[in-house]
Amino acid sequence: MQREEKQLEASLDALLSQAADLKNSLGSFIYKLENEYDRLTWPSVLDSFALLSGQLNTLNKVLKHEKTPLFRNQVIIPLVLSPDRDEDLMRQTEGRVPVFSHEVVPDHLRTKPDPEVEEQEKQLTTDAARIGADAAQKQIQSLNKMCSNLLEKISKEERESESGGLRPNKQTFNPADTNALVAAVAFGKGLSNWRPSGSSGSGQPGQPGAGTILAGTSGLQQVQMAGTPSQQQPMLSGVQMAPAGQPGKMPSGIKTNIKSASMHPYQR
Amino acid sequence: MEAPPVTMMPVTGGTINMMEYLLQGSVLDHSLESLIHRLRGLCDNMEPETFLDHEMVFLLKGQQASPFVLRARRSMDRAGTPWHLRYLGQPEMGDKNRHALVRNCVDIATSENLTDFLMEMGFRMDHEFVTKGHLFRKGIMKIMVYKIFRILVPGNTDSTEALSLSYLVELSVVAPAGQDMVSDDMRNFAEQLKPLVHLEKIDPKRLM
Repeated sequence: MQREEKQLEASLDALLSQAADLKNSLGSFIYKLENEYDRLTWPSVLDSFALLSGQLNTLNKVLKHEKTPLFRNQVIIPLVLSPDRDEDLMRQTEGRVPVFSHEVVPDHLRTKPDPEVEEQEKQLTTDAARIGADAAQKQIQSLNKMCSNLLEKISKEERESESGGLRPNKQTFNPADTNALVAAVAFGKGLSNWRPSGSSGSGQPGQPGAGTILAGTSGLQQVQMAGTPSQQQPMLSGVQMAPAGQPGKMPSGIKTNIKSASMHPYQR
Repeated sequence: MEAPPVTMMPVTGGTINMMEYLLQGSVLDHSLESLIHRLRGLCDNMEPETFLDHEMVFLLKGQQASPFVLRARRSMDRAGTPWHLRYLGQPEMGDKNRHALVRNCVDIATSENLTDFLMEMGFRMDHEFVTKGHLFRKGIMKIMVYKIFRILVPGNTDSTEALSLSYLVELSVVAPAGQDMVSDDMRNFAEQLKPLVHLEKIDPKRLM
């Protein structure tokens, strides 16, 4: 018995402190709204709401705590109602409740909602029950679907407007260029052994192309180019395939040329 | 003739296997200035360094299918500096957590008769290009922003034309094998360049 009393007291104290915190934050929020409404920003309103919601959460947690006895089992009965001022009560309630009388008690000791509110609630529950389980499910599903559609539309709009706004600034790099440059550095794609069909300096793609590829071995090359015209054909074809823009052919072009180049030094 | 993967090679002799960690991206010409400003702010405080280099790529075709590639690079604007010979291995793939491209890397400084030497060895030049750009450093990270120029007349480095309207941006670190934290640092740095340049690991084999 005593343990339960102690528990009751402890939980009541906790509840009291939580309620006091909640009251304070509500009070400050109301003050802010009333006096600073012209300077108020939405984030600060959100902050206040967040604070209130946090405090309500802790209040709920205190109530649900296992050490809290079931308050439902406790009953409060007013013993004496008098229209006289009660100083003690005044002190305890910080001046808000001066008299413990017939007007004050129904509001403060209320356990059920107002009769009108009760009526409305009862009506709503009968309406809901009348529809039937299937129709209710259908309504729930359609509501969910509409909500998700709306969410999708909003997020798409947001994304599109963001990218649209940033697009003029966003072109600081071109991914195609990145790939072209990396390929050039990695294995020479687009460099000296290619001859683009439209470039001015290469009227005859065959000759300068072959010359470029075999540029390193100058003296030996001239002998080879003059002496083995038949070998030029695969080289020419290798180079001429290149401007056609088929990257798959390019490595074979290189190999063909290198092979023909390495064949000559000991055949002279 | 590819060097065997680094994990199999014992550390013999005096050299440690160095790996190059690489992230690449590009920036369009008109945004170059903003990128340079941002890099000057982010990187180590030093005089902005520009470079003009001529790089030649040599291939040695052996019995195997894939030729052995060596890169010879010389500075065109700084007289008297040694030539730079570089070997880059195949990128080590497979580790999705690694944020940068990792490949075996051997760097050697040589004298000026490098090309003759390579020719005598049997290498043949495959392609060459000129790079012109800026160099930044941050700790061990090296950031290069450069434009690639195609050489129109072979051997003549004056007649060049730009390959594209963009500058290539490379973030690289040369570090001993096994230090994967380096790639995390690189990724953090790359994040700071984010909306201007997207530095990412680009597999060259995909672009063939």
